[in-house]
Amino acid sequence: MNNPIVEFKNFSYIYPKTEKIVLDGINLSIYEGEFVGIIGCNKAGKSTLCQSMVGVLPHLLGGKWDGDVLVDGINLGETKGAGATDVIGIVFQDAESQFTQETVEDEIAFAMCNFGYERSVMRERIISAATDCGLIDMLDRSPFKLSGGQQQRLAVACILALQPRVIILDESTSQLDPIGRDEVFNLVAKLHQQGRTIIMVDHNVEKIAEYVEKLVVMDKGKIILADKAEDAFQKMEFLEQFNIRVPQVTEACLKMKECLEIDKAPIKLENAIQLLQIKLEGTNFE
Amino acid sequence: MSENVIIKTSKLVHTYPTGVTALKSVDVEIKENEVVSIVGQNGSGKTTLVRHFNGLLKPTEGNIYLHGKDVTSQSVSQLSKEVGYVFQNPNHQIFSTTVRGELEVGPHNFQFSEQEIAKAIKEVSELMKIEEDLEKHPLTLDYTTKKIVTIASVLTFRPRILILDEPTGGLDQAGREILTKIIQMMKERGHTVIMISHDMDYVAENSERIIVMSQGRIIKEGAPQEVFLDEEILKQAQIEPPQIMQLDFALDVRKKRSTISVQDFVKKYKAQFPKQEGE
Ligand SMILES: Nc1ncnc2c1ncn2[C@@H]1O[C@H](COP(=O)(O)OP(=O)(O)OP(=O)(O)O)[C@@H](O)[C@H]1O
Ligand SMILES: Nc1ncnc2c1ncn2[C@@H]1O[C@H](COP(=O)(O)OP(=O)(O)O)[C@@H](O)[C@H]1O
Ligand SMILES: [Mg+2]
Ligand SMILES: [Mg+2]
Repeated sequence: MNNPIVEFKNFSYIYPKTEKIVLDGINLSIYEGEFVGIIGCNKAGKSTLCQSMVGVLPHLLGGKWDGDVLVDGINLGETKGAGATDVIGIVFQDAESQFTQETVEDEIAFAMCNFGYERSVMRERIISAATDCGLIDMLDRSPFKLSGGQQQRLAVACILALQPRVIILDESTSQLDPIGRDEVFNLVAKLHQQGRTIIMVDHNVEKIAEYVEKLVVMDKGKIILADKAEDAFQKMEFLEQFNIRVPQVTEACLKMKECLEIDKAPIKLENAIQLLQIKLEGTNFE
Repeated sequence: MSENVIIKTSKLVHTYPTGVTALKSVDVEIKENEVVSIVGQNGSGKTTLVRHFNGLLKPTEGNIYLHGKDVTSQSVSQLSKEVGYVFQNPNHQIFSTTVRGELEVGPHNFQFSEQEIAKAIKEVSELMKIEEDLEKHPLTLDYTTKKIVTIASVLTFRPRILILDEPTGGLDQAGREILTKIIQMMKERGHTVIMISHDMDYVAENSERIIVMSQGRIIKEGAPQEVFLDEEILKQAQIEPPQIMQLDFALDVRKKRSTISVQDFVKKYKAQFPKQEGE
């Protein structure tokens, strides 16, 4: 197998002026072209993990750390974080805090500036990303005078225009309307098909289950489960102990396991419909 | 069950200084002691609407009445005591240097005694499980904890109307359970909750009534079961029913009484299978 594009080797981290071990001996390999979902309850360390993939932690923010993070073979500890953002683009959980420009158009362009694109290419990508994210009518608006969901759409558009090899979305759909959320998942799925590596942190397990291949589950700074999504979500009782839900259709089917005579529950809506339609054939809901 | 209207708007229009008209003639009534959710696509005007309820925004045209009195005749401090608003973005709401300080602001402004303040902080921080964060600087908190602190800082002054703008965004299961407890507590006290959310599972299970907005207008109001059955409205407002409801709709074409929770679903469908041995 090729080398991982992101690799954690026994990585631990403590924020500055605190004592709590926030990442605790993380070992994780993500390969180019994978679609990975990261779930876990609040404070599990998901955002901290994402930020350490781009070298923000520990190299910009400080704090104590141990172990290694490698991005495309570069050891971030040796380069003090340099090199990571050539490969990885991240949308932070707090979208608004990453805006610096006066218009939506400039904000999207700003992300690309450092990469020396030609003007015409930049313009094309801005238009296409803004259209995809439903912002095309707002190019001259201030990023700070958008609704919460529109700001999140803008943060996503910046990354889509950049098209880095690895895309990390840290809860970037949490304030989107349901259709907007679908659109973002569809957009990154399209990029995934073109060979990009996608890492999504999201509490919406229904959407995660529809799209990701590999699921990483975190609790208290540790990875407690990393498996194919369809296998990981079977462990409903295990996940419940960590306050993590499984998709509604999976929960329903697992709770009707005996009636349905199944070993494994579907994790996607479409598969649940198929399964139940067969099992219910002839029923007319009296 | 009182049917008293507590908030009412009449032909409410709001145009921002940038020229964007976010509300186009909104007539809405909120009843005392109800738990109502506002849903709708990004930019449809939800935040703009509720910000008029506590005086943060002034109408460009039209009126807002609280207990039948036009709010323009009431002072902002009076309004904000009665109507507690939790911002969509917690960074816009936090100004103190400790979490405790943040929780004290409201009760302090509204002249609570020292004893009352201490009691309120104890009660709320226990309920929201932030006792250990009280002496921390809000800037050192992760995003979700900040959000929880902003909810707590409104609860400490016991508003009769609680407005939660996108409280579920980023909350895990434990956080949602705390939120549900808060809603129940408000309900039991006879108070009113207005919640904005894109989380349809949560909305379906936790609201008595849903208001749907699209492009600055209200396009539908009703009970969750009713609203989620209206495909035309759902499409217009860019929303979709919870996954379990979608499964129910696909299987039971009568679409009469839909199930809004997994529990309902399992109960309904288990009954379709012959009884298992030993049951
Ligand atoms: N401060 C502002 N200045 C100018 N326009 C604004 C401002 N805030 C919001 N708007 C615009 O007003 C409209 C309604 O925004 P509002 O924030 O009320 O939407 P919302 O329904 O709360 O959306 P979301 O679900 O994304 O939070 C949008 O077109 C938005 O871009
Ligand atoms: N800037 C910070 N300073 C100090 N501690 C932090 C900071 N950000 C997060 N933490 C702490 O690190 C832990 C993990 O947080 P985070 O990575 O945000 O978790 P998640 O994204 O899974 O909710 C939490 O205990 C949180 O309080
Ligand atoms: Mg996070
Ligand atoms: Mg809003």
